[in-house]
Amino acid sequence: MLQDYIPVLVQLIAVVAVAGGILGASALVGKKRPTREKLSPYECGSVPVGNARERFSISFYLVGMLFILFDVEAVFLYPWAVVYKSLKWFGFIEMFVYIAILLAGYLYLWKKGALDWSR
Amino acid sequence: MSWLTAHLLTVIIFLPLAGAIVLSFLRRPPSLRWAALIFSLLTLALAVGLFVRFRPGEGMQFGENRPWIASPPIRYHLGVDGLSVILILLTAFLTPLGVLVSWTGITRRVKEFHVFLLALETGMMGVFCSLDLFLFFVFWEAMLIPMYFLIGVWGHERRVYAAIKFILYTMIGSALMLVGILFLYEKTGTFDFTQILAALSSGALAVSPAAEKWLFWAFFIAFAIKVPIFPLHTWLPDAHTEAPAAGSVILAGVLLKMGTYGILRFCLPLFPNAAREFALLVSVLAVIGIIYGSLVSMVQPDLKRLVAYSSVAHLGFVVLGIFAFNRIGIEGAIYQMANHGVSTGALFVLVGLLYDRRHTRLIREFGGLAHTIPVFSAFFMIVTLSSLGLPSLNGFVGEFLIILGAFRARAAFGALAAVGVILAAVYLLWMYQRVFLGQITRDENRTLPDCNGREKIMLLAAVGAMILMGVYPQPFLRRMDVAAAQVVERVAPGGGSAARALWSAGERSR
Amino acid sequence: MMAFQSVDTIRILPEIILSAFAILVMVLEPWVAARKSALGWLSLAGVIAAALATLKTAGSPGLAFGGSVSADGFSLFFVDLFLAIAALCLLGSIHYLERDRVHHGEYYALILLATVGACFMAASTDLIMIFIGLEISSISTYILAGFKRQELASNEASLKYFLLGSFATAFFLYGVALVYGLTGTTNLLRLREQAGGSPGAALAALALILMFVGLAFKVSSAPFQVWTPDVYQGAPAPVTAFLSTAPKAAAFAVLLRIFAGSLAGSGPVSFWVLWISAVLTMTVGNLAAIWQSNVKRLLAYSSIAHAGYVLVGITAGGAEGVSSVLFYLAGYALMNVGAFILVAHLAGRGERRVDVADYTALAAARPSAAALLTVFLVSLAGFPGTVGFFAKFYVFRAAVHAHLIGLVTIALLNSVVSVYYYLKIVVAMYMGEGETGVSAAAMPNALRAAVVLSVAGIFYLGLYPAPLLAALARIPKPGL
Repeated sequence: MLQDYIPVLVQLIAVVAVAGGILGASALVGKKRPTREKLSPYECGSVPVGNARERFSISFYLVGMLFILFDVEAVFLYPWAVVYKSLKWFGFIEMFVYIAILLAGYLYLWKKGALDWSR
Repeated sequence: MSWLTAHLLTVIIFLPLAGAIVLSFLRRPPSLRWAALIFSLLTLALAVGLFVRFRPGEGMQFGENRPWIASPPIRYHLGVDGLSVILILLTAFLTPLGVLVSWTGITRRVKEFHVFLLALETGMMGVFCSLDLFLFFVFWEAMLIPMYFLIGVWGHERRVYAAIKFILYTMIGSALMLVGILFLYEKTGTFDFTQILAALSSGALAVSPAAEKWLFWAFFIAFAIKVPIFPLHTWLPDAHTEAPAAGSVILAGVLLKMGTYGILRFCLPLFPNAAREFALLVSVLAVIGIIYGSLVSMVQPDLKRLVAYSSVAHLGFVVLGIFAFNRIGIEGAIYQMANHGVSTGALFVLVGLLYDRRHTRLIREFGGLAHTIPVFSAFFMIVTLSSLGLPSLNGFVGEFLIILGAFRARAAFGALAAVGVILAAVYLLWMYQRVFLGQITRDENRTLPDCNGREKIMLLAAVGAMILMGVYPQPFLRRMDVAAAQVVERVAPGGGSAARALWSAGERSR
Repeated sequence: MMAFQSVDTIRILPEIILSAFAILVMVLEPWVAARKSALGWLSLAGVIAAALATLKTAGSPGLAFGGSVSADGFSLFFVDLFLAIAALCLLGSIHYLERDRVHHGEYYALILLATVGACFMAASTDLIMIFIGLEISSISTYILAGFKRQELASNEASLKYFLLGSFATAFFLYGVALVYGLTGTTNLLRLREQAGGSPGAALAALALILMFVGLAFKVSSAPFQVWTPDVYQGAPAPVTAFLSTAPKAAAFAVLLRIFAGSLAGSGPVSFWVLWISAVLTMTVGNLAAIWQSNVKRLLAYSSIAHAGYVLVGITAGGAEGVSSVLFYLAGYALMNVGAFILVAHLAGRGERRVDVADYTALAAARPSAAALLTVFLVSLAGFPGTVGFFAKFYVFRAAVHAHLIGLVTIALLNSVVSVYYYLKIVVAMYMGEGETGVSAAAMPNALRAAVVLSVAGIFYLGLYPAPLLAALARIPKPGL
């Protein structure tokens, strides 16, 4: 029973060994010549502008949450697609209802002004 | 008419409640008072009818028995025997007195007062009529609410404290009793008292001695708190003192009797072996109650408190008589229950009337009242004498029978109880002397009005009852005969002959 | 693959209708600007429609959706109970929201959704489905508790409820996971078949205890009751009325399904867990309530104590125990919802007047309100003539039947203690002197209807419980 987990253990040890080895070796062997450019935060290759600790518009969070909501709901489409054929019409109607409920939510937040960025 | 006879108990129980409902539609205080009086008098008339039509020499009568709840089988089972019929008459007699004594004293929330008073009467009647343990418990608990409001809303200075104390004490007792009732139901599958009793006495239901002891105490503590038996009496002085006059009348007159009624109806017949085992202990407590109540009464500065403690002593007599386990003692106890209701009820009426006049209950505020209010003083004298057991008044019959019964059971207790009678004379007469005799010490007391017509009617009714019960106890004793015999039959078979034999020429027993 | 049958939808028709109305209310909300109360009435119509649908459901009982939901007498009783609670709460909320200026249509949608969740908890026969129901009802009620977002207390209540609630669901889920690990199924019916030779008794006990802890949070039984007073006090009072009844009853339904049903006979562990929990819950609730001066908080502790009495019935178990618990929950819902929505009205705008002292002399100022509140309190205390008495009586009778005389004695002494604090409010209303502090506004009609209906129910079930009892006796009990 417990022996079944030995491959997992082996992989665990291997992962720790490889990652630790590489990082440790470069820390020990590598040369360090810090310059101003090298110490600046890395931001996709462009020069950083202003302070990193900035206040965001509240709509950023709102949109973020809405994205996650609808994105997660969309995940349900994948398993549905796999068994779609065996579910037949029932599956079709069921998903229709599901999308309609999502749509109701969409309508609600649209009318509530959650998508209105200018406010 | 035959319908009324068949449902007489139901009508007696629920007529006051119907009155309460009618009252809730009325508005003006005078019409409220008259309506309450009319309904309570109608109930009294029916109770008298019940008493007259009650056939002495038979057990349960006027039975009504129909299902209320199918499962668990709870039945609306009513019935009266000699014990309950007397208490029903007493309740019906005291309620109109309660209405009358509040005629001018209660000016605040008149409607609610009378509604609660009538609802209380329904509860009390129900307790005395129920032959189903569950039904009994329902009335027993339901009656607490109106009494709680009567004390708490219309009482004197420390009314809230007294009301809460009253309700908590009673409920602790009834919680234990409910456990006992449920246990009995578990054993027998019924709440019907007559069935349970039959099962127990025929031996069909065997309860182990240990279980019987527990059950006895579960019921007994509930009743002992109500009686109250020393040392569970501490709620009584507060409740009696703080209640409005009508509340005190009902409390002392009827509610205390529920305890002794419960002991006689349930504790002794259901658990005779345990009762026998603890008879000595209970008798000791009863005697302590008699002596202690009398001594404490003696030193009370407050009239109402004095009467309240005298109740502790008087109920001690009743318990002593019950636990003598012979017919004379038990019949004396039943008789004394009625006596105490009338006498102490009347005493509270008188104290209430005095309070209406002077707004104080302190004995030292009075003195020499006999000069200013002679008629009132005369009534007070008769009631006092009745309370201390003067021959030819009602108190004597009961106390005499109890002492006789106690003497036969345990001579020492009879002797101690007799000391209690003397002490009662001391504290009551001393109180009378300080309040009514001597010189008028306070100017306020010079101008008190004497009894008016309403007060005279009330007091005449009470005094009439005292004299009737004092010189002609036969109708009462005849009716309680069988009930007492049945109790004795259960707890001490062969427990002597009926008390009324004492009143028949030369037919002394044993 | 389980084939879908149209009867499956009939078996959850009430829940479907409720959800549809919830979505409808939600979508209409932004369009309805002025008269939000119309949404309240629409929700009420939804509740009534769902109640009518239960008749249809009752016509075709059975399992649905691969045995994860069961439409039986047991679940239908709870569905009807939740619908009644929802209806009373809606009636009590409409004017409240207007008065306290938090009139948003989402409130009604959330009440409906919370009801849906509670219904699924009671109707599910699969642990996963129960978990989903638990989450639907919990998330809706987390928001409802914080519905007065301008008020600090309401926010605190919401956050506390959310944190401890999710903690509790985590416990529950852990228990479910262990059960699945041990038996390979989460279906309660299949679990019952396997209960005979279950491996790893210690783990099974652990799973049971974990699930119990999760549900104990929801029913606020000691020692998991610490959140209850704060949340009940901080949440808007009509929400508290809902919180203290519907999710609680739903969690009890699950407890019954798990403890009295599938895993019954799991031995002394569940018995003693229940016994100890019952004693602790009653005692803690009652003793703490004595010292409260805030009426909402007092009623919160009282609801903890009542959970204890219900646990007595569950401990007793058996057909009688289950029946008595169902009766208790129905009676308790009537009196608790009534009390809280009445308190909500009396507290006045912003719920400022919730101290016992504020109730001084209420009987003189508003006799009818005082009388109605007295009925609720007297029923909660368990006086005869009211449903509270019969509810306690049946629970205790079941317990005596199971030879739990010690437990019954403790419970009865507890109920004596409770009389003291219930009457404390009555004392203030009837025996206090002075000016009354609570709102003297006349009762709005919707609220009056709700309160009068609950009082009528209290008296009807208190004087003539036979029909409901007979119906409950006919219900097939889970696992019996």
